Amino acid sequence: MNDNSTNTDLLIQYLDGELEGEALTSIREKIAASHELAAELESLRLAKESVKTYGLKKNIAGIHTEMMKELSATPAQHPIGIRRMLQYTTRIAAMLAIVLGTMVLYQYFSATPQQLFRNNYETFQLHETRGGNTVSVLEDPFKKGDMAVVTAAFKKIDNPQPEDYFLNGIAALNLNHAPDAIHSFLALQQNNKVNDVHFFEEDAQYYLGLAYLQNNEPGKALPLFEHIHADQAHTYHRKINSWFMLKLKRMARH
Amino acid sequence: METGRNLTDNELLQILRSDVTPDEAIRQLYRSQFGITKAYINQNNGSDEDAEDIFQEVVLVFIELVKKDKFRGESSISTFLYAITRNTWLNELKKRGRSKLRDEKFEKAKDNTEMDISHYMVNRELKTQLMRLIDSLGETCKKILLAFYYDNLAIKEILQNLQYENEQVVRNKKYKCLKQLEQMLAEQTQLAKNLKSILFYE
Repeated sequence: MNDNSTNTDLLIQYLDGELEGEALTSIREKIAASHELAAELESLRLAKESVKTYGLKKNIAGIHTEMMKELSATPAQHPIGIRRMLQYTTRIAAMLAIVLGTMVLYQYFSATPQQLFRNNYETFQLHETRGGNTVSVLEDPFKKGDMAVVTAAFKKIDNPQPEDYFLNGIAALNLNHAPDAIHSFLALQQNNKVNDVHFFEEDAQYYLGLAYLQNNEPGKALPLFEHIHADQAHTYHRKINSWFMLKLKRMARH
Repeated sequence: METGRNLTDNELLQILRSDVTPDEAIRQLYRSQFGITKAYINQNNGSDEDAEDIFQEVVLVFIELVKKDKFRGESSISTFLYAITRNTWLNELKKRGRSKLRDEKFEKAKDNTEMDISHYMVNRELKTQLMRLIDSLGETCKKILLAFYYDNLAIKEILQNLQYENEQVVRNKKYKCLKQLEQMLAEQTQLAKNLKSILFYE
């Protein structure tokens, strides 16, 4: 090696941190004394940095390909602001869902037949009467809302007509006399069957079902309401929704 | 270093400052930052390919800055990368000459930049020239120089990997390759001058 290449070799060793002691001091002194050597060292340093940058760029390019595959298999990232907003919204939605879910579950598990009855019972309005031709003696007290008079008057009728059975059943429901109501609606259905008529048929089905709920007999109410829920043409179909049926089925199982 | 969980900023910086492979740190930067970069560039008239190119360059600049101790955690890594990305992309748009509007946006955005990172903007053209220059060294030189200066392998390890006769042969080869590159750079004074400014971050 000539002087130049010897110096270059020393500069490279200096650049690589391989010199120690006297050799290190010597090259430092030479660099300080020679602009030429200082310039060469700077050029070598640039060459070294260029190699490092080249290596890093190649390394990143290799990982880039790998990461594009990984990221394309996962949902896209949103910018920080949107992501945070989504996180908050999701948290609030999750909390609301939990609260709502808890309320629904509470309603589902805590509902009793009597509650189901109370939530769904509306007393029958006489102007809705359909099917009966005979004017019942029970109509006047019924219209006045005097249900005790209705039930008392019913007991005095020797040969009750369909409307009598029906109005007495409703009056009994209003008075919380569920067994009397059930008896009256069943009698109406039997009467219809024997005479092959259909007076108050759909009304009786619906109110008999409610009477069973009031009497804490959801198992007997279930087939009646299943029929009403399945029959879209039924007069009371719209009063019986899926949530009602779900709760009733749970009660009927216990 | 443990993988499979998100590294904190400090852990990530430790990896990048050390001599261990930065692969896991780079992967984490992709997982945490690429989506943000892509969304920003897509929203500002850039394609997915633009986002990929810019992100690679931004990661490169970031790692080099960390290694040279130019990033000391004054802001979060995420904020810093976003700022470099934004400046680099706005500069790219300006170069592409999309419109005067872009210039106005660029100036406005630069004014709003809290950190002074304008001198850290990626110079993609220069990096491309650098890659071509080193590619022209040939495979043998590239392998030896990368093994020594990028992978930080000892001469003995390079000897085992590249199967030379002895360590002195490897040393001589490394000497010749680095000198060759230095001379190539010396012949291209303007390129060398520009490279100094972007590689030394001074």
